Amino acid sequence: MARRSRKNHNPTWIAVTCGLIAAGFLGAFFLFQGSNEPYRTVAKLDVQAFLDNANSLRGNVYRVQGEVVNALAWSPTEGRLIAIGTEDGGEVLPVLVPTTFNHINIQKGQRFDFKLEVDEKGLLKTLELTKA
Amino acid sequence: MKSLPPLLCLIGLSTLSAQQLSPAPSQPAAPAQSAPAPAGNNASTAGQSNFLGKDVPLFDPGSETITFDGRTWNVNNNRLFQARFEKFLNAPEQDSLEDKEYNAILKDILDKLNPAQIKPSSLDEAFKLLPKASGYEMDAQLCDSIASQVHSSWMAVRARDRLASANRALEEEQKSLQWNARMEAGESTLSGAPGGDRSTPASQEWRKQKQLQRDVRMLPITTRLAEVKALQKANQLKQEVSELQARIQFQALIWQHFVQRRFQHVLIGTRFYRAIFNDGDGQLKLGDDAKNFFAKTSGLPPTVGTLDSVASEIIRDVREGVRAFTYLVEKAELESATKRLAETFIVGEYLPEIRTLEREEKRKALAFSQKANQLISALDVKDYSLAEKIVDELHVTAKDFDSSKPMAAVQTAKTVAAMHLAKARNAAVSGDHATLETELRAATEIWPRNPALAEVSGMIAKQANVQQRALVDFDQLVSQKNHRQIYDDRVRFIAATAMHPEKGKELQSILENMAVVEGAIIRAQEIEKRGDSIGAWESAERVYSQFPDDNKLNQVRATLTTQAADFVRALRKAEELEKKNQPGSSLAWYLKAQQQYPPSEFAREGIERIIHELLPDAS
Repeated sequence: MARRSRKNHNPTWIAVTCGLIAAGFLGAFFLFQGSNEPYRTVAKLDVQAFLDNANSLRGNVYRVQGEVVNALAWSPTEGRLIAIGTEDGGEVLPVLVPTTFNHINIQKGQRFDFKLEVDEKGLLKTLELTKA
Repeated sequence: MKSLPPLLCLIGLSTLSAQQLSPAPSQPAAPAQSAPAPAGNNASTAGQSNFLGKDVPLFDPGSETITFDGRTWNVNNNRLFQARFEKFLNAPEQDSLEDKEYNAILKDILDKLNPAQIKPSSLDEAFKLLPKASGYEMDAQLCDSIASQVHSSWMAVRARDRLASANRALEEEQKSLQWNARMEAGESTLSGAPGGDRSTPASQEWRKQKQLQRDVRMLPITTRLAEVKALQKANQLKQEVSELQARIQFQALIWQHFVQRRFQHVLIGTRFYRAIFNDGDGQLKLGDDAKNFFAKTSGLPPTVGTLDSVASEIIRDVREGVRAFTYLVEKAELESATKRLAETFIVGEYLPEIRTLEREEKRKALAFSQKANQLISALDVKDYSLAEKIVDELHVTAKDFDSSKPMAAVQTAKTVAAMHLAKARNAAVSGDHATLETELRAATEIWPRNPALAEVSGMIAKQANVQQRALVDFDQLVSQKNHRQIYDDRVRFIAATAMHPEKGKELQSILENMAVVEGAIIRAQEIEKRGDSIGAWESAERVYSQFPDDNKLNQVRATLTTQAADFVRALRKAEELEKKNQPGSSLAWYLKAQQQYPPSEFAREGIERIIHELLPDAS
């Protein structure tokens, strides 16, 4: 009769170990994710709601990531009005970049993260922006 | 003899006139009115003649007219003459046995009375034939009249002879009485008075006694002598009156036959006359009117001899005319043939050459004559279509038919009528109703049965209706803003509004706008053909905003809207939000539209508007 090997593997320990490994992976995931969304505390703009009725969003602050599609206008007092293409849905939104960001070069094709406020005219006015 | 034909025609027509002539119901022919009357006619008229009415009818061969009683007829267009002539043309030839016998008798009489062969016996034989000839119907007992007149003349001549004999006896008695008177005068001298001294009273008393005795003895002789002389004068007067009366009656009978165109009877009469009254006095003792008429129209002195020669000449002329007619018919020259026959018929209606003319020959002339009369009637009533048709038919049947005059009349009338109709058309188009009415009336008067007249009248009326209807339609379409329909019927409306300046301006404006719409539609369709449905839509949409009521544009636009639905929806949303004063959302939609169709002018304009609103100082 063959003799069975007798190894002592405690199942509890095994479960704890697996849990720790999974937690480690999740932590790493959230850690890395949080580093790509600078205004993650700010609500993401509901583009469709903006398109339907921007006036209803006046005063709210949102974050949007998008690619500069076109420079629409430049006002020495108000700043630059650009058009950005959103990643989700491919919509194009007008965004006013005030003069306080004149030091930042904004060119077609650049991607930015915007923290925006819907102003009294329903226009998206940039509060903060960072290159994505 | 040059003036013989007019004379012949004159005589012929005189008879016609005497038989039935009344003021012609037919209109005097135009050329006839202007035809100068012969001098003889003038003279006769001036003399207030009573011959055959008021004046002598005269035939003018130049214009083929007859003037009578102050009126003028065209020989070829006279109802009376035409009726008689047509009756003759339709009558069968008179070549029956009876006709031949009659003509033979007349010929026999004339042969026996031939001046070269006449003898007392032949005169009697001819006289005996007169009652025989008179027995035929066609003689109308004219030979009886001649026989009666010949008998009367013979009686007159015999009475003359008896009176001459009586006068000779009276002359003998006169001579005897004159001798007795001379004897009585010689026996009773007044010499040997008693006392010898003539101065004594006894001697003077003796002479008175002797003178008284001689006067008593001479009285019966001188009385008888006066009676004899009176008887002689009375006999001479009777003789002259009797003969003159016989001559006048005979000449009147001959003249009557001459006027009746019984020229064979004229010859018979003249030859009997000259045989009976063979004293060489052939002077016509008719009234001045008859003598003047004969002398002025024939140019010959009015004698029995000239009547005889003229009658002979007429018979020869008629014979020649019939031969000419026959020849012309053979050559199918019916116009000349008919004219020659008509001329010959006028004169020689009762001559055998005319009466024996074959009916088939005459009917050829009749056919032409009827056609010619139809042509005259057609021209009279101004039915120029019919006249032209008849002229064509006459050309076929009569090679010598001269169509220049009727065709000139037809063509002139047609041309003038066409000119008036053209003016009427212009007046109708220009709305000049007064001129239209005048010109139409003038055209109608010139050619009442002009087929184009009814056509043009209908056309003008229709045109007026169409024009009026078009104006009503135009107003209605304008009120409906249906410029498309106006554009589609622009030709009709341009014509209709030509005389209405205000409507014309309105129409012009509409057509200019429609030209813009049509241009946009064409442009849109061209762009669509390239696959650029959004660009095509923009082209249509751009014009649509100006002319939103055009159906065709709407249809094109609707089709293109379906094809560019996403773009149109984005643009519409942008415009809607722009109107709601949501520039942010509106700008986003404009940008979306521009993203779909970067060349979009609507999107670009919308973006610029919003930017200008948001950033007034933007550049």
